[in-house]
Amino acid sequence: MSYEMWAEKYRPKSLKAIINQKEIVDRLKSFVKTKNIPHCIFAGPPGTGKTTAALCLAMDLYGKGYREHLMELNASDERGIKIVRETVKTFARTRSIGEIPFKILILDEADNMTSDAQQALRRTMERFTETCRFIMIANYSGKIIEPLQSRCAPFRFSYMSQEDQDRYLRNIIEKEDIKILDEGYDAIFEVSEGDLRKATNTLQAAASMGKVINAETVYSVIGRANPADINEMIKTAMKGDFLEARKKLRDMILKYGVAGSDIIKQIHTEIFRSMLPDSWKVTLSEAIGEADFRLVQGADVEVQLSALLARLTEAGQELSRGG
Amino acid sequence: MSTIWTQKHKPQTLTEIVGNKDAKQQFLTWLKSWSKGIPKKRAAFLHGSPGVGKTVTVETLAKELNMELVEKNASDYRTADAIKRFAGLASQYATLFGGNRLILLDEVDGITGKEDRGGVRELTNILKTTRSPVVLTANNAYNPRFSTIRKYCLIIPFKKPTVREVVSHLKRICAKEGIAADEEALKFIAERSGRDVRSAVNDLQALAQEKKRLVIEDVVWLAGRDRKEVIFDVLRTILYSKDSWEAKKAVSNADVDPDMLFNWIYENTPYHLTDPHDLAKAMNYLALADIYRKRIRTTQYWSLLRYVVDFMSSGVAVARQRTKSSGWIPFRFPEKIRLLSRTKGERALQTSIGMKIRRRCHMSAVRSIKEAMPYLKIIFENNSEMAAGLSKWLDLDEDMIEYLAGNKKQTKTIIAKLA
Repeated sequence: MSYEMWAEKYRPKSLKAIINQKEIVDRLKSFVKTKNIPHCIFAGPPGTGKTTAALCLAMDLYGKGYREHLMELNASDERGIKIVRETVKTFARTRSIGEIPFKILILDEADNMTSDAQQALRRTMERFTETCRFIMIANYSGKIIEPLQSRCAPFRFSYMSQEDQDRYLRNIIEKEDIKILDEGYDAIFEVSEGDLRKATNTLQAAASMGKVINAETVYSVIGRANPADINEMIKTAMKGDFLEARKKLRDMILKYGVAGSDIIKQIHTEIFRSMLPDSWKVTLSEAIGEADFRLVQGADVEVQLSALLARLTEAGQELSRGG
Repeated sequence: MSTIWTQKHKPQTLTEIVGNKDAKQQFLTWLKSWSKGIPKKRAAFLHGSPGVGKTVTVETLAKELNMELVEKNASDYRTADAIKRFAGLASQYATLFGGNRLILLDEVDGITGKEDRGGVRELTNILKTTRSPVVLTANNAYNPRFSTIRKYCLIIPFKKPTVREVVSHLKRICAKEGIAADEEALKFIAERSGRDVRSAVNDLQALAQEKKRLVIEDVVWLAGRDRKEVIFDVLRTILYSKDSWEAKKAVSNADVDPDMLFNWIYENTPYHLTDPHDLAKAMNYLALADIYRKRIRTTQYWSLLRYVVDFMSSGVAVARQRTKSSGWIPFRFPEKIRLLSRTKGERALQTSIGMKIRRRCHMSAVRSIKEAMPYLKIIFENNSEMAAGLSKWLDLDEDMIEYLAGNKKQTKTIIAKLA
């Protein structure tokens, strides 16, 4: 039995197979027709088909041997200036053999590139336009420096509708012979929020359990895929078990790599949703703001956040006394 | 047992010597070339940091090739006369026995200008005329003092072995001594030694001798000769005296690395100040101490250290107001230190899985870890068949499969299906 990650196995292999982002796909198809493309920026949330569109564009443009004309770089792994000076330049400067005179360089997760590297890219992009076209992929185009943006045609990708997502999943479900209830579809859309990769991964993990997929299966997958439950930690601290809360915090930071800023953000949201007296909410907000600022300054995430958890434990005690 | 482990576990064969494969090979080739007559360079100059295996390489090879080793080192006299007498004798006699002799002048950077007057000049003469192979060792062959010597020598640089290589050497020793040692503990020793094998083995002996198990807690003490009792005394004063001056004094007098001490206080405070109000106050001071630690790191303005000390000692001491003493509670080893060293291995494994996913899935290793791995874990725990297929597709090795599957039994099932 052969298995792949379904997110990869069912990734469209041609622009024709992309089910959403119609306007974008139409423009890309016209590039293929004229056999010419500008430098591009594909921006948008995760799982909306940016990388897929770039790959499909290359496949449609070059046909079977597209690999020879294409280079994929991932800025999260290779984000420094060295990669631009060496790898990118070497690839960009040499002429492609064949009908189409340029190659394509996909710079994925480009918003993670250092600004130095982006600056270095400026010249490279201009000098080698004849031989290489760049497709920069990013979640936020704002993180790409102005001069690069102005050299590229921008494309905004948006989240998938449930209708589109269901259609895409149904194809997988038929081919892989999975049993799923309608509520399963709804649950997957709810948890994936239009992120097709997350949806597909959730479906595959749910299918691996070997039962009919219902809403509960989906939620249990999501619960286990995100064991770092910030809410749970807040509750534990407020209930008075500081030691357990600190343990959860440690796991989050060290085992699951949750960012300190994400934890802070959620604590802030939860405090204002809680049953605490208003005066406490403001007092805690002050402490949260202070911790947030300290993290920005580079203080130790665990120490600062566990001081915050101690405040929550204190607040929890106050609450139980008052109520 | 009173034997020193660096002697007891000295490598017996060339392959047992840690690292420096190329250097060892180069040296062996040169030495063997003597059997075909005197080579162009009559001396070899092995150089590199202390404890990288220069001398042991010479000794081991002499034994393997059945050569007689004549040796002089820094502790001997180095005057021109002394060298002449020794080396001259050795190299002349050697021919009588068919060149089956190796002359080692160990630690030649020990030759000092004053006492070993003329030593270098005399050495040069010997290197030009010797009829037996001569080996010099030094930490740095490019010291100007050796400029005349160098042209008569084959220079062979010895590099520091990697941490991994040092660890595997330590592992071998532990196996022979019957000690079950945690990988992380050995890694800590190897890193601490600055990849100096000799010093790592010495440290290992000091820490592990007469023990059945060696864990990370046993070795972090190396970090600064900090003794447990000192730390426990400080903790007792801070957490129970309620006296800010006593607490401050205890920390200042402790002569323990403040960062280490901070971690101990941070770990133990919640176990002893159980009232939430007291705890919040104490943790607030610790957070402040942390801020000042950070400020010192960025500004290098070390006089700020006094505030770190204030907050982590007096700050915590005065926080005790409502908490009642409730009998003896043992002090705990800082989880922060333990977790950091444990998860280091885990993080490395995660990254290597991330790289495998990256090869297949058009996404960075960093994102693969966050976005694909949690789902893979669920699949690997639940469905061995799908897991086997994915292992093949991603080209995962056994360690990776075990990490994703979470236990040995499931790992076995998956691997069985791989075949």
